[in-house]
Parts: sequence; C-alpha cells; structure tokens
Amino acid sequence: MGMSWARAFAASGPPPVFAAIGAGGLQRAEELHGTLRLQRSPRQAAILLVLGEIAPDLLPFLQRLHDHLPHPRATIWHRATPPGDWTDPVQATADGLERTLTDLWRSILSGDRASEPDFLPDKPPNEWRGVGPHGQGGKGMMGGTPYGRPMAMTDDDLRDGLSLDAYSAPFGPFLPMLPPGLILDLTLQGDVIQSATATRPPCPQPGSDDRPGDAIARLMRVMDMPALALRRTRDGLPPAMGIAMLRRAIPDGLGRARDGTDVRDRLDRWRDKDAPQADDGTRLSDLLPGLEWHEAMIVLNSFQPDRIRAICARSGPEGGDEDDKDGNRDAPAHAPPDHGGHQHHDMTGPAA
Amino acid sequence: MENTIQILLLTALSLGAVMALQRLGGLSDAPGVTAPQAAPFIGGAAPGTHAWQRFHVRYYTMTLLFVAFEMEMMFMYPWAVVFVEEGIKALVEMGMFLAILTIGIIYGWREGIFAWE
Repeated sequence: MGMSWARAFAASGPPPVFAAIGAGGLQRAEELHGTLRLQRSPRQAAILLVLGEIAPDLLPFLQRLHDHLPHPRATIWHRATPPGDWTDPVQATADGLERTLTDLWRSILSGDRASEPDFLPDKPPNEWRGVGPHGQGGKGMMGGTPYGRPMAMTDDDLRDGLSLDAYSAPFGPFLPMLPPGLILDLTLQGDVIQSATATRPPCPQPGSDDRPGDAIARLMRVMDMPALALRRTRDGLPPAMGIAMLRRAIPDGLGRARDGTDVRDRLDRWRDKDAPQADDGTRLSDLLPGLEWHEAMIVLNSFQPDRIRAICARSGPEGGDEDDKDGNRDAPAHAPPDHGGHQHHDMTGPAA
Repeated sequence: MENTIQILLLTALSLGAVMALQRLGGLSDAPGVTAPQAAPFIGGAAPGTHAWQRFHVRYYTMTLLFVAFEMEMMFMYPWAVVFVEEGIKALVEMGMFLAILTIGIIYGWREGIFAWE
C-alpha cells in the first residue's frame, strides 16, 4: 500500500517524541535531548517514549498521557518493562533506540502498524449534572458542578487577602519541567502559588547527583535556553558564558532554602563542581508559596534529584505539622497546607 | 450595480473556498478527537475543578502611575500656552502641582509599584 504524499513527506522527517521519564531515566533523557526531537507536550508528539521504570502507582497517569497523543501514535519502552496488559509493546535496546524510533514512525504513518487505541473510555470523565430541567444550570456565580466537576471557589489571596477564585490541581508526574514522578498539588490565584504539597515524591534517579552539567542544562531548559543546554565543554558543563548569562537571568534571593542558599548559590556550587549539599529539612511550603509559576519551576529545578526527592518526601499532605520536632520554629514563614481565613494578612510573599 | 456584482462574486468565492476546505478535511482518514484527547494536559493527572476562574490582575498600581503622569501632561499643555504671559506666577503654580504628584509617586514607590511582579 502506497503512502499519500503528505504521509511520505512526514515520514522523511524526524519522529516527534514525548518522553515520559520514570525511575533512573533522567540521565538518559538528558543524552537524548541532543539527538531526538523531544516535544514539550504530547499534543505535538506521535511517539510516547517511556524512559526508565514506571512504578505501578504511576500507570494510570501514563495511560492518560498516552491517550493525549493524537493519532497515529505508538509507544516505545526504553530501559523500562511494559506492564503485562499493554498490547504489543515495542522495546528498544540502548544502541538501537533511534533506529527503532524511525522504523516505528514510518510504520505507523504507512498504516503497517495500527495506531494504538485509547485506554480510557471515550466519554467525559464526569457526567453533566446541573439543576435545571435540561441539566443546564447551577447555583449563583459558581455555576454548580458542570460535567460533575466543581467550579473554582473563592479563597483569600496570601498577598493582600483579596477574595477571588483559587484554582487547585495536581500537576505531574510527567510534566517536562517538573522532576519526573513528582505529583504536585498546587493552589493558585492567577499564577501565584498559594500552597503546595507533594502527593507523590519524584522517582529515584541513581547516579544523577554527580552530574552537575545535566542539572545546569535542565535549569537552562526551564529558562528557555535549549540551544545552550545542548552544548558541553570538555569538563562536562555548558559553556561558561552561558552559565553566566543564566545566573544573571535568575533573580537574586529566589528560592532560599533553610540553609540560606538561593538558586544562584546552588548554581554556583554546580559550576564549581562542589559536592551535593546535605539535606537541611527544607519543605516545599518554605519555597513555593508566593512565587509565580515560572519562578517556582526555576526553584524546583535548582536542586539535585536526590535533594528535591527528600524535600518532596517531607512535603506530603500529612507532613505539615512536623516542624516542632525539628526545632525549626524560626524557619521562614510558610503556609500550612490547609490555609484559609484571614491568617495571612501579615505575610508578604518572598518576591515582595 | 457593478458593486453588487462584485460583492456577490466575492461572497460566492469565499463560500466556495470554505466548502472546498471542509471537503478536503473530510477526506482525511484521521479519527476525530476523543474525550481523553480533549482533556487538558497537566502531566498525566486529571484536574479536579474547571479552569474557568476569576483572578485579580491588580490594576490599581498601574492606575496610580497613570494618574500621576497623565494628569501632569494634561495640565502642562495649557500651562505652556499661558506661561509666557503669566511668567513667574505660572512657574510657581506648576512647581506646587508637580510637588503634589511627586508625593504620589514616592508613596507608590514605597508600596513597591515599580517592582515587576
């Protein structure tokens, strides 16, 4: 069967790939950035690349992510074991990845391999339940629960107590700018973070901590400097001038941890190849509330994988009242997870 | 009459182009968008609430600056016209006016309205 000219033209290009990174896949993902067209969103990808082992509790998230890819689509497992119920999984060896990717891309375009069907049922996750005779209405300004999902409700802004809609959603575990595996429950007013909890810590990444070049490259990618992130000098770091530019682009004093270091200090440590810093009991609630989304992503990417894992592990939904044990009462002000009411009026965000 | 014919021709042409494009889209064998594909991408998790929300963009800092600088210009134009006739009196008046506005700007500065948020 011959391909249409449009499909043949598409097949001659590089396959658009979205990488879902699991345990131990971060280092490999950094290597692949140079050779593959890794997309920032599954909407732009045709092939889902699963890099590293996916824990069983992450499988439902992987399936939802898989369903986001437009047809025709396929999945490749690289350094990962597909679960038993995954139909006809494609696995790639270490040196045959690019060839497997290209072959798969051609075969799904030519129709030799059928596009993978959805895992989730083709209906809205929640049914429409309004109050009117046709299910059209709701209560007052809040609009009821259209499609079974509530509208955002009002809450006090931690900057000045203005009461407008607070938006809560879980972000992750495969969001490219977050540490892989992290599920971050954020409450936002506009794009300012009001509270942050980690409902699931990031996946372990053994061996990634002694690779400061990769850490700087990730930070550069978050700062939208992807071309510089690809370049490495002989000592394994991105070019010194690029690091200096990156350092200047980061606000001074952003993301101060309990040991007093900010993002710039941590970047300096990577540049000088100092040993990774010991854990100091910092929590996400010390770092994120009051920051805008982009600042928060810079802060999260300014820690080595092991350290951000430790920070997130103690920032779970139930870990809010352990401060007394650490004797850290003088720590920077932070919001308890169940904030509300008027208790934040005296509190200014770290950016103020 | 000539205009009417031109308009009708143009309408027919645009309608034809739209219908041709729609027909072209129908020829594609790509399956339609399913419900899981229509869901927002937030990394694999499902959002708990709708994203439709009200938030405050905090115009008041911009408003304070606008009033301070714009009112200044509005007074300066007529002032410039009569300045030569009135002489030193007009200069003193303008000095008082600017001093009042400067207090507003200094107040805003203290409140941090020049800090980019």
